[in-house]
Amino acid sequence: MSGSAINRRQLLGVLGAVGAGAAVGGCGSSVGEGDDGTSDGGGGEVKVGLVVPQAGVYAPLGTDMQRAWDLWLEREGDTFGDYTIATATADEGETPQTGVAAVQQLLQRDQVDILVGIVSSATALGVADMVNEAQKVLIIANAGANDITGAARSPYIWRTSFTNSQVAAPMGEHLSGTVATAYVIASDYAAGAEAIAGFRDGFTSGGGEVVGESNPPFGQTQDYQPFISQIQASGAEATFCFFAGAEAVAFVEQYAQFGLSSQIPLYGSGFLTEGGVLEAQGDAALGVQTTLHYSIELDNAANQEFRTAYEEKYGAAPTVYAVQTWDAANVLSRALRTATGLGGDAVGAALGSIGTIDDSPRGPWSFDGQSPRQAFYLRQVEQRGDALVNAVVSDLGESSQ
Amino acid sequence: MANWVDIGVIAVLNGLAIGLLLFVVAVGLSLVFGMMDVLNLAHGAVFVAGAYVAWWVVGGSPTWTGWLAALGVALAVGALAGGGLLLMTGPLARRSHLEQALLTLGVALVVAELLSLAFGEDVRSVSPPPGLGGTVSVLGNAYPAYRLLLIALGAGLAVAAHVVVERTPLGALVRATVADRDMVAAVGIDARLVRAGVFVVGSMLATTAGVLGSPIYSPRPGLDSTILILALVVVVIGGLGSVRGALVAALLIGQIESTGRALLSDLASFLLFGSLAIVLALRPRGLFAGAIGGQH
Amino acid sequence: MGAAGAGRLARPPYRPGYAHVGWRAGTATTVAVLALASAPFFLAPYATTALTRMLIFALLAASLDLLVGITGLPSLGHAAYFGVGAYAAGWIAGHGTAAAPAPLLAAVAAGALMAVALGWVAVRSSGVFFLIITLALAEVVRQLAVSWEPVTGGSNGMYGIAATRVGGTALTNVAHLHWYVLFWFLVGLLVLWSLSASPFGATLRGIRDNEPRMRAVGYRPFRYKLAAFVAAGAVAGLAGGLLAAQQRLATPEDLGFTTSALALLAVVIGGSGTIWGPCLGAALVILVRDSFGPSLDGHGPLVLGLVFIVVVYAMPRGVAGVRWSRRRPQLRTKAG
Repeated sequence: MSGSAINRRQLLGVLGAVGAGAAVGGCGSSVGEGDDGTSDGGGGEVKVGLVVPQAGVYAPLGTDMQRAWDLWLEREGDTFGDYTIATATADEGETPQTGVAAVQQLLQRDQVDILVGIVSSATALGVADMVNEAQKVLIIANAGANDITGAARSPYIWRTSFTNSQVAAPMGEHLSGTVATAYVIASDYAAGAEAIAGFRDGFTSGGGEVVGESNPPFGQTQDYQPFISQIQASGAEATFCFFAGAEAVAFVEQYAQFGLSSQIPLYGSGFLTEGGVLEAQGDAALGVQTTLHYSIELDNAANQEFRTAYEEKYGAAPTVYAVQTWDAANVLSRALRTATGLGGDAVGAALGSIGTIDDSPRGPWSFDGQSPRQAFYLRQVEQRGDALVNAVVSDLGESSQ
Repeated sequence: MANWVDIGVIAVLNGLAIGLLLFVVAVGLSLVFGMMDVLNLAHGAVFVAGAYVAWWVVGGSPTWTGWLAALGVALAVGALAGGGLLLMTGPLARRSHLEQALLTLGVALVVAELLSLAFGEDVRSVSPPPGLGGTVSVLGNAYPAYRLLLIALGAGLAVAAHVVVERTPLGALVRATVADRDMVAAVGIDARLVRAGVFVVGSMLATTAGVLGSPIYSPRPGLDSTILILALVVVVIGGLGSVRGALVAALLIGQIESTGRALLSDLASFLLFGSLAIVLALRPRGLFAGAIGGQH
Repeated sequence: MGAAGAGRLARPPYRPGYAHVGWRAGTATTVAVLALASAPFFLAPYATTALTRMLIFALLAASLDLLVGITGLPSLGHAAYFGVGAYAAGWIAGHGTAAAPAPLLAAVAAGALMAVALGWVAVRSSGVFFLIITLALAEVVRQLAVSWEPVTGGSNGMYGIAATRVGGTALTNVAHLHWYVLFWFLVGLLVLWSLSASPFGATLRGIRDNEPRMRAVGYRPFRYKLAAFVAAGAVAGLAGGLLAAQQRLATPEDLGFTTSALALLAVVIGGSGTIWGPCLGAALVILVRDSFGPSLDGHGPLVLGLVFIVVVYAMPRGVAGVRWSRRRPQLRTKAG
């Protein structure tokens, strides 16, 4: 009865699809135990899968991360311990749909031993099961969801970046000493909510009062006037915000355009003014204060050297995203010197015992529960020559996730 | 300190600025669909091309000359884009809407990718013309001067479009084609040139809107689909092919995006599509169904 | 449904009636199913996983074809039912039981219920208006998934979904997962084929081609369109449930515009109205997006765009229309 709807062409098509799948993935067999995911120690090649966004809104972060990874291999050599690094890169894209597929490709097709990268928290959380089952180490070089190394912790997933609340909390503590009331505003998504929660904790425990909150739709807001008017009406002494990328540019510009920056000073998590967005914001960003675990202005030898090398090679200033990836290469290099193998348990154990990383551009830091314990800096946007920089105002002390 | 009445005034004013800009983007989309049955999903990419032109020509050091030059370049780019799309969709005149949509979406993806190859993947910021970067006082509230100019220009373009379409013989032909294409052909009028003109002018309006809107809608990857969806919403609420409908719908969406978000900030994320769904649930063919000849 | 009316339309003119075609098609189907079923034996795990994902997306596209190709309702929000199915399956697996087929039943039920609620509003419009209202409704659903954080996990999605258990064993092996997905894919496809070939399907085609006439001969198009919408929603929900089983992750992106648009494109690329054509379209789309995409240095969207353009010009009736020999050309009305 339904016979006429199908014919030989369908068969050809299906065979074509199978053939294409084979061409993409190579042949072999999926039946059975699969590979055991461990190689023995004692040298050889280690395949590292670099998962960074090459298309979509996060592509600028991906570029910085890729550059830092390449720079490390160029300057420090591609030998980590007894292993020679071979890098396979995959495009994380914008969403977990592309990100998960990219990780799958690296783990299953390219058979990488270790994964590095991942910008999006949703992707990081989404690949956790796959990484666990493959028993490979994943070093996250950006994604900031608290759960990644918190509630959804896996022994194989480490992070050289930050947690969203960890970045915002020091700003709350700091501001509670200078103002009594603050308005909070963040994009209506998980990272924004975590940042606001972190800020609230720090601010209210220091005696401050949050007098209002807005959550502009994430990815759909170009005009912040409705929210800016509410900030103005709230009578708050300061505004704390969490925005990144295009939304950071739009918000900071419009905050200045509506004349608020001279009335109610703007504070935020450091991503607000980091990298390419600062250039786009231009003068509108002058005076904005943020907290972050890095600034290119940091005065330490490791940063000077890193910054000079990066600027020489790429003609652009490094960002926190580059530093996080640089440090991912750094911790991996240290871990592979002592690791007893390339399996997740061996590399994980080695990562857990590397102690303080004393030559990071961000200053010394160490793993505390698989996520960094590190110093946070209060930064202010200032003019330096014809460029804007996040000048370091003060060191707000170390904190953990 | 501002109070809630002031917030309302500013929000309404702002909604007007956004709404008029949306009208300039959407009117081309609406007329092209009304006249040629082509749902041009590349329209958002054309807008973004205009915004990138503004950044490329004006950038962070604005001059009036630069702004006028940007408008000139954008008009040329718009004409080329419209002509190109016209040529590409021409052979598909007898094919389904969906296939034309597929084609124009393919074009949109390719153009967006080429734009990010040419201009990079960072957000690009465009400064308003000199003297308009500051604020002016509106009933005691600071309001960006450039947005007032945007309101004036948008209103001017809206009036011009209205006059051309509603009051001139050319406009009458456009309206007749929207209402009944076959009848226009049957009475022996060759409307091909008019149709081509509408496609080209619609694209030029989109790039113009891109330039004018660039200080607010900073060019960046992904902006094309944002704009496309807003324009589609305007076109559908306003009724396909109706200039008046598009204007009313654009002003409505402007107010929803501005005043609506200010008043109902907890529901901000749901407002646009929620209200669109409600409008279409009540009026399945748009607010102005019947105001134009129905052929769909 | 009216038996007399259905009888008149039960055999549409373009339906070939030769017995040997049925035999041939049967052979083709058997070989295709065998090829798909044996794929894990000669494909590496990665390729098998990609093939499994193609099957899931193919089922979504095929269910959409019931709306687009058979009923003439081009939906740009079909991912809503797919995503809701994935969330429902994930929630049941976490808070109820992960034993098959419970999560899938939950997914089908969720997809169908959502389709009843939204379809009741949507099917009153048609053409481009239908396109946009389905988009708007799906966006509202997506926003709910982002906002209803305690249940859905918000923008980070519902992750760590418990693996489906069959007979007490967790389904984590890629080959076993593939067979599980293949089985339900075939069930879903069979449902769609049966509907399409039944008098009900003939009525839907009648509504697509000439709604006023169908109304004149006594049908109530609204009921038929709603029924088709719900059936398509239920099968999309099934596909979503399979996604939750394979990916063990459900995110707002699964409900979003991009997923809906890709599904619609798969239908158009594959050739609408054939059910199996969209499956090939889906395979092509997923191949470009997931298999080539990550290796193209970020130029995945460019390639996808070029594919669309080429398909429109080179394959006027989609992949299903290529090499078309014995059948007489069918008259197709504008889908919009």
